[in-house]
Amino acid sequence: MSSSPPTLAPTRRAAGPRPRRRGRRTDAWLGVAGVFIVLAGSELLSRTGIVNPDFLPPVTEMYASLFGLLGEADFWESLWLTVRGWAIGLAAAMALGIVVGFVIGSIPFLRAFTNSTIEFLRPIPSVALIPLVVLLFGTQPQSAFLLVLYAAFWQVLVQVLYGVADVDPVARDTARSYRFGPLRVARSVIYPTALPYIMTAFRLAAAVALILEITAELVIGVPGLGRDIGIAQSSGNVPETYALVIVVGLIGVGVNMFARLVERKALWWHPSVRSETP
Amino acid sequence: MQTTSTTGRLRAVLGTAAALSVLVLAACSSDGSDTEASDEMSEPATDSTGDEMMEAVDITVGVIPILDVAPLYLGIQEGFFEEEGLNLTTELAQGGAAIVPGVQSGQFEFGFSNTTSLILAVSNDLGIQAVGPGVSTTGDASADFGGIVTAADSGITGPADLEGKKVAVNTLNNINTSTINKMVEDAGGDPSTITYVELAFPDIVPAVASGDVDAGQVVEPFLTVAAGQDLVNIGSNYAATDPSLMIAEYFTSDDYAAENPDAVAAFQAALQRSFEYATENPDAVRAVLAEYTSMDEATQAAVTLPAWPTEIDSNTVDLLAELAVNDGFLTEVPDLSALK
Repeated sequence: MSSSPPTLAPTRRAAGPRPRRRGRRTDAWLGVAGVFIVLAGSELLSRTGIVNPDFLPPVTEMYASLFGLLGEADFWESLWLTVRGWAIGLAAAMALGIVVGFVIGSIPFLRAFTNSTIEFLRPIPSVALIPLVVLLFGTQPQSAFLLVLYAAFWQVLVQVLYGVADVDPVARDTARSYRFGPLRVARSVIYPTALPYIMTAFRLAAAVALILEITAELVIGVPGLGRDIGIAQSSGNVPETYALVIVVGLIGVGVNMFARLVERKALWWHPSVRSETP
Repeated sequence: MQTTSTTGRLRAVLGTAAALSVLVLAACSSDGSDTEASDEMSEPATDSTGDEMMEAVDITVGVIPILDVAPLYLGIQEGFFEEEGLNLTTELAQGGAAIVPGVQSGQFEFGFSNTTSLILAVSNDLGIQAVGPGVSTTGDASADFGGIVTAADSGITGPADLEGKKVAVNTLNNINTSTINKMVEDAGGDPSTITYVELAFPDIVPAVASGDVDAGQVVEPFLTVAAGQDLVNIGSNYAATDPSLMIAEYFTSDDYAAENPDAVAAFQAALQRSFEYATENPDAVRAVLAEYTSMDEATQAAVTLPAWPTEIDSNTVDLLAELAVNDGFLTEVPDLSALK
């Protein structure tokens, strides 16, 4: 065996401070500490009167209102309606986005044909469609569904198009030389490449869907937590308004954690997920 | 080598998709309404004259979660609508903008909206008509359910002082701007010098308190909130315009009225009884606020209640139309017979 040439990296670590690898648990505690500092700061601002306490109540009052809400049946019903609206809109957007994305992405003519239409429709904020949707469906849940679908669909479509375009041309050609039918190509060549993009799309669409669901409820009055926020606001009940906003924030955190869990489970084979565990 | 992983994963995804589609189908077929429903009528109801009606009519009323519609909830609670053969459910919307299209499209049978908005709707031929009064001013400029609030040190003591100032209202070119203009003109000021700013009611009190605007027009419960912020109420623009100003009405679509005259008559009768009951039982009104608003008990006890008249005030409709034309957001007075 020849000795290792001097140009190779040294086999011994350089003298100096070793970089400490923080475990995931430490990260979680740091996160909690960060939230705690923000809450304590907000409480101080309110209690000392720097911000008018009638319009920014102390955090303890907000949480007292929150715990009061937990005992009301109406709150749980609104929560269920919001989560249901979010889930249905998200599922429809994912399904539609994946199917349309696969079809458009696989056929170059369609891709070129729809490119400018997609680029035109995508930036339209869903919120701008609220007056249209109100004329069609008023305060029924379908209004919120349409808004959620419109916003989340584009997130999914764009990611799926990227995913389909990312297919390794060698793999695609191999499939062709093995004479795979279009469905088999979709299943074994396009789908594994597109799956990480689909998971990213799921995470983005989940967040966007929640935003639009709450917006529709708040602005139009579709039944749900957003409408409860509007009612609390127009009743002048400031602590309850904040309490409901906190609940919506917690739902957002829950949605994000759920999306990451699904991502880890579906992409357990992907290098990005595999290398995460220390 | 994991050769079965692709198939396993595919099965998992297909299974999830199947589960999701089942969920979607189940949810789409279920009723999404969560309105506060009155008891279901299982036997024929009798109306106020004792005649038996075939069956209870289901009606939905689109309302905003404000103080003004409390008698409707009282009427449901006391059974006045049931006795008239109406199975009434209320649907809360966030603003009048969702209610008028809702009535037109048939999502609601009846709606509640302020008179000026209804005048604008009639002038645009939206096919609606009033069925009854909604709410009126108490007539007392210093003790009304609406008013103009300003900071104690703003130097504004009366409507004439609003000249050249920034005033916050909840909707531009609507009943609040019209009535404030009239109030200022009657006091000898020039309303064209006022700069109106559009803010939602909950945001007007903080804006006045912090000095972002010089004054703001609010209704209860924000008059009470404003008092809590040590703001001064310089008077009610509603009472100053007309002591019996009818600020809002209940309305329906022309189509519904033509096809269901009995239901409309029953609604009007029950509404009248509800208004009378509300006027005689202010404590009951305050108590029912807890059902559809989130007002806390202290606010419920402190708010000034409006007046609920039993008849439509036709003069108000003409007056508000005239003011709208004067202010320039209505080109000409339309045929207002549908609102009287």
